[in-house]
Amino acid sequence: MTAPVVEAKAPGRAATKPPAPARRRGFAVHFAHYKWLYLLLLPGVLYFAIFRYGPMYGVSIAFKDYVPFLGVNGSPWVGVQHFQDFFANPDFPRLLGNTLILAFLNLGIAFPLTIVLALLLNEVRLSVLKRTVQTLVYIPHFLSWTIVASLSFLLFALDIGPLFQFVNGLFGTNVDILSDPNWFRPLIVLQEIWKNTGWGTIIFLAALATVDQDQYEAAIIDGAGRFRRVWHITLPGIRSTIIVMLILAIGQMLNTGFEQIYLMTNALNRSVADVFDTYVYFVGITQGAYSYSTAVGLFKSLVGIVLIFGTNWLSKRFNQSGLF
Amino acid sequence: MIRRKHTLAAAVVVSAALALTACGGEAPASDLSSVKIMAPFLEAQPPTADGAVQKKLEELTGKDVNITWTPNASYEDKMNITLASSEIPHVLVVQGKTPGFVKNAEAGAFWDLTDKLNDYPNLKTTFPEVQQNASVNGKVYGVYRGRNPIRAAVMFRQDWLDKLGLKAPETTEDLYKVAKAFTEQDPDGNGQNDTYGITIPKWGALGTNSPYDLIETWYGAGNRWTERDGKLVPSFETDEFLEANRFIKKMVDEKLINPDFATFDGTKWNEPFFNGKGGIIVDVDSRVSVLINLFKQANPNDFENKVGFVGSLKGPDGELHAHPTDGYSGFLAIPKSSVKTEADLKNVLSFLDKLNSKEVAVLMNNGIEGVNFTLEEGLAATIKPETPEGKVVNTDIKSFAQLGTNVTGNNFYPVKQASEYEQKVFDDRVAVMAEDLKSAVYNPAAAFVSPTYVAKGAQLDNIVADARIKYLAGQTDEQGLKDAIKLWNTSGGDKVKEEINKLWQENKK
Repeated sequence: MTAPVVEAKAPGRAATKPPAPARRRGFAVHFAHYKWLYLLLLPGVLYFAIFRYGPMYGVSIAFKDYVPFLGVNGSPWVGVQHFQDFFANPDFPRLLGNTLILAFLNLGIAFPLTIVLALLLNEVRLSVLKRTVQTLVYIPHFLSWTIVASLSFLLFALDIGPLFQFVNGLFGTNVDILSDPNWFRPLIVLQEIWKNTGWGTIIFLAALATVDQDQYEAAIIDGAGRFRRVWHITLPGIRSTIIVMLILAIGQMLNTGFEQIYLMTNALNRSVADVFDTYVYFVGITQGAYSYSTAVGLFKSLVGIVLIFGTNWLSKRFNQSGLF
Repeated sequence: MIRRKHTLAAAVVVSAALALTACGGEAPASDLSSVKIMAPFLEAQPPTADGAVQKKLEELTGKDVNITWTPNASYEDKMNITLASSEIPHVLVVQGKTPGFVKNAEAGAFWDLTDKLNDYPNLKTTFPEVQQNASVNGKVYGVYRGRNPIRAAVMFRQDWLDKLGLKAPETTEDLYKVAKAFTEQDPDGNGQNDTYGITIPKWGALGTNSPYDLIETWYGAGNRWTERDGKLVPSFETDEFLEANRFIKKMVDEKLINPDFATFDGTKWNEPFFNGKGGIIVDVDSRVSVLINLFKQANPNDFENKVGFVGSLKGPDGELHAHPTDGYSGFLAIPKSSVKTEADLKNVLSFLDKLNSKEVAVLMNNGIEGVNFTLEEGLAATIKPETPEGKVVNTDIKSFAQLGTNVTGNNFYPVKQASEYEQKVFDDRVAVMAEDLKSAVYNPAAAFVSPTYVAKGAQLDNIVADARIKYLAGQTDEQGLKDAIKLWNTSGGDKVKEEINKLWQENKK
């Protein structure tokens, strides 16, 4: 069954490329024919080779005892010593736990909120209002984490911050939100929502614009209300976009944001605040353990890759288009 | 034919080898007429190579000087990258015995100068104990950059103290009393309960001369390490450490210390003092001048007697345990990969010797006489108003001072203060610090680098440092603090103690 198809295809393809009889020579001829197009590809390939793949050579220090003076090549090999040390370290479960909890909180709360906000914006019919709101929710994205952290410190300052008074009034408590370990995660997620939700809606709004308007009209005639329409038309319409964005978000999941967490950490909340990123900085940069922290970073990247492929595989299993 | 070719090649190789060895003896191979230096700068802009200070420096040392100024914030990273590169300077400012430096040094990156410095009159230190502190287990890897060892001071609002009719604190108990009065007796007289005693910023790490460290030393807990029963133990394992922290906790509980001490931004430390919220700061004595200047800027006609200060305080045992620093801030090291031979090393060392001569020290710390300062009774008076040339020199010397070593004491001129009052305060400071120096409690383990501590000291110390803050904030009780100290021991601290004690015993002889 398959064989004839291949046969049928081969002559067809050959016909489009003038001189291409045998398959072996196919690529060479193909290349010669399209050499200028390949030339266009060259800068991109070079960029990735030099700036993205070349530096990966440095990852080898994760398996060495790196001393700057001896250089990457001169430092002695130690095998997987650093990985063993890391997994045996009492910090490991705590770091993994903190990282995963923050990652899932961000994914579970901030990610759906982006879709909700996009849907809400999509329902706004007054164009001026819609544009104004869109611009306003994009702005926080352009503020650096340093500014977000400073704002948080002002708003939640002990005894005098307006949000400090509001939150403690709401719950009838009197805790220092900035240093209380129980408040650390809500604070981080809140900052993430405030800063990035608006920006994240851009792609969903673009996807929403492609949903077939006829279906809405049909649904209205059938008597479907707003929520029915969102549930049965809008969401299925942007389902593939949601899946792609979810896969991308999961790939970034363990990047819990070094700056944000580093700035919000203090002696009192460190037990819940330490994540892989801050640990790598602390151990690698301030303590000079370059090899060890590279091993930690490498482990984090591996987990990230597994998560991406895993989600991609799952999404294909559930009959959705994957990312690749 | 082929044979002849081989002989010819061999002859070439041999003669080349001969030529090379001949050169090796004198070692003029590396060109040391120009000395390359890498140094940090803390100003907004580094000095330019054609500035007057650098010109004068080249004239005085007889060398072309080529300085790579590197921003202070990323200095350690840049230093490590530089050491791994092929562009290595002849002289490298190393900011401290960081794990990165120690690893490089032990891998043989720097010349061991232990027996060499004494041959140079300006490098032979008059403070051998500081040089010992700056060494790595007795090996001197650089010319240390001397700093005043005694800097600890308690600063308070003199006007508040006068208003409440109190005396300047002399003991830690006095500190408590003054802090309590500043909190409860309305020292600013506005009828509101809106002041507190001591301001402490977010500053938890151990052994960084933080207010906590100072009070612990004053209580007699030693300075990082202390000798107990013939052994060195970390200060936090002493009873005095717990007592000192009970004392600080009492002040926290009675709200004599700002309640946000765990998160308060250190760059705003002066604000509560200046704005009349918190009346006491425990820090280095140079902050006295900074505070006076704040008041002076706000009101040039009424800034005197706003800021009072005393040095280290007597502990509950009635003794003065003054808190000194290690007396140095990093050192100038000489990398082996750029300075290859003993002859080159001598060349570089004589350059450093000149760098620490009186005239160069004056140039790098005071500037150029007649351009930016004049000499008045042995004091350097800044020329006012600043000329454009003077301004450049004044800015440049702030960076060039980073190259100063002063291992034979400060042989430049003290700066003449702007007013009589400030001069008096400055002289007082010098006198108080000199008095405290007599009771200085040095860190007996300053010179020792334990391998375990290099590998994970910062993480270990964080265990205790965080527990200390948690204890003070009431997140954990004294048992929690003790448990953290136990955890420090079981996570590797035991090994650190063992290694430090071994090094201590070896170096005692």
